[in-house]
Amino acid sequence: MRRDFTDRDDLVAYLRHEFPSAAAIDPHVSPILGGRRQALGLLQQIQPARYAASRNYLAGAVTHLSPYIRHGVLTLAEVRDFALRRVANPFEALKFITELAWRDYWQRLYTAWGRGIALDREPYKTGHTDYADTLPPDLREARTGLACMDAFSRQLQETGYLHNHARMWMAAYVVHFRRVRWQAGAEWFLQHLLDGDPASNHLSWQWVASTFSHRPYFFNRENLEKYTGGSYCRECPARGHCDFEGTYDELSQRLFPIALDS
Amino acid sequence: MSSANASSPLLWIHEDCISPTSPPFAEYPLAPAVWVWDDSLDWSLKRIVFVYECLLELPVAIERGDPVAVLQSEAERMGAERIVTVQSPSPRWAEIRSALRLPVEVLEPIPFVELRGTVDLKRFSRYWKRAQTPALLPGGTSPS
Ligand SMILES: Cc1cc2nc3c(=O)[nH]c(=O)nc-3n(C[C@H](O)[C@H](O)[C@H](O)COP(=O)(O)OP(=O)(O)OC[C@H]3O[C@@H](n4cnc5c(N)ncnc54)[C@H](O)[C@@H]3O)c2cc1C
Repeated sequence: MRRDFTDRDDLVAYLRHEFPSAAAIDPHVSPILGGRRQALGLLQQIQPARYAASRNYLAGAVTHLSPYIRHGVLTLAEVRDFALRRVANPFEALKFITELAWRDYWQRLYTAWGRGIALDREPYKTGHTDYADTLPPDLREARTGLACMDAFSRQLQETGYLHNHARMWMAAYVVHFRRVRWQAGAEWFLQHLLDGDPASNHLSWQWVASTFSHRPYFFNRENLEKYTGGSYCRECPARGHCDFEGTYDELSQRLFPIALDS
Repeated sequence: MSSANASSPLLWIHEDCISPTSPPFAEYPLAPAVWVWDDSLDWSLKRIVFVYECLLELPVAIERGDPVAVLQSEAERMGAERIVTVQSPSPRWAEIRSALRLPVEVLEPIPFVELRGTVDLKRFSRYWKRAQTPALLPGGTSPS
């Protein structure tokens, strides 16, 4: 295939032509640029000491390195070694290095389980078995009426990147609030995420679903509002009456009444 | 020299090792390298653009089709008698590797941490109990 292009537009036009079925899945091109030069530039900007306190916020000091790490453009080892050079004491980088280690852990499980990562590793601990097989079209089309989920859906499909917390909220929404089996959401993510990785993706979805964890992960509106700086809730048409209103206890009663009974 | 030529490798760059510093390039800096777009991929366009941009920074021929057939015909065309690549956990990678009718040298990826013996992977906490100390050291290896 061609290697010489005048600019990015030329490359994109060529790839649209060569891969029509990929363009049919979704025609967007991400603003995130590929290549090791780009990756090394981002690496220079990491702030491992600020990471622990801020990483759960959408505006926190996360690195956006995942698409490069996923494809071996950067290795986990070189990112870790660089982070260690940025801090006075290795423990200042502990949280950041622990997150790098999650990837190493998922990769080791992938080596052990192979295609088995796509099967429920354990039963759901939600009390439910009646999960739908397919993703609700309103989510794919960003028409749920929930400002947060619609924005995350668009961001996923337009840029191929989502913050970790947004991935967790979305996965919890799909599996626990819409009661769809995690595999449907995981396959959708894999088509779009630039860092789409069978191990990190499927096993994180299983962690949220509770098929690879002791309990389901879910959230309430207060949590989402806090870590997004309120930007979605402020303008949400469902403000005040969305699915996520309530305390954790109330939501747990609503979502998992059978599990709580037993 | 024909004997050196006869054993000369073709580097197979796949989706886990798209870097000029990855082990095949480090080990065989002068060998030809190839990437194959696997027809069985189900990615949206933006993933393809991203990976293509990564590939354009590498000295690889970019090919497309059934990876086994492409790797074999490229090896033949270049007079390479073996394939060199990097280990991957992907079952698809293992399928391609075992279907190749040429010798395959599999290099180890650069490890995050080196853990000897069996590692308990039941939950992250068990893995982390073993991995934390080396993970906080440059190179990921405990001083022995
Ligand atoms: C439902 C769901 C699906 C996910 N799918 C993927 C996926 O397909 N590919 C992927 O790489 N990550 C996935 N993750 C993990 C995590 O969300 C992303 O790695 C992270 O958000 C990438 O952004 P970053 O590079 O800014 O991360 P940072 O917070 O800056 O972290 C640095 C690096 O550490 C690694 N990392 C951080 N957190 C995790 C984690 N929880 N699990 C594994 N690795 C981690 C990544 O390589 C990341 O680039 C998923 C998480 C969830 C909840």
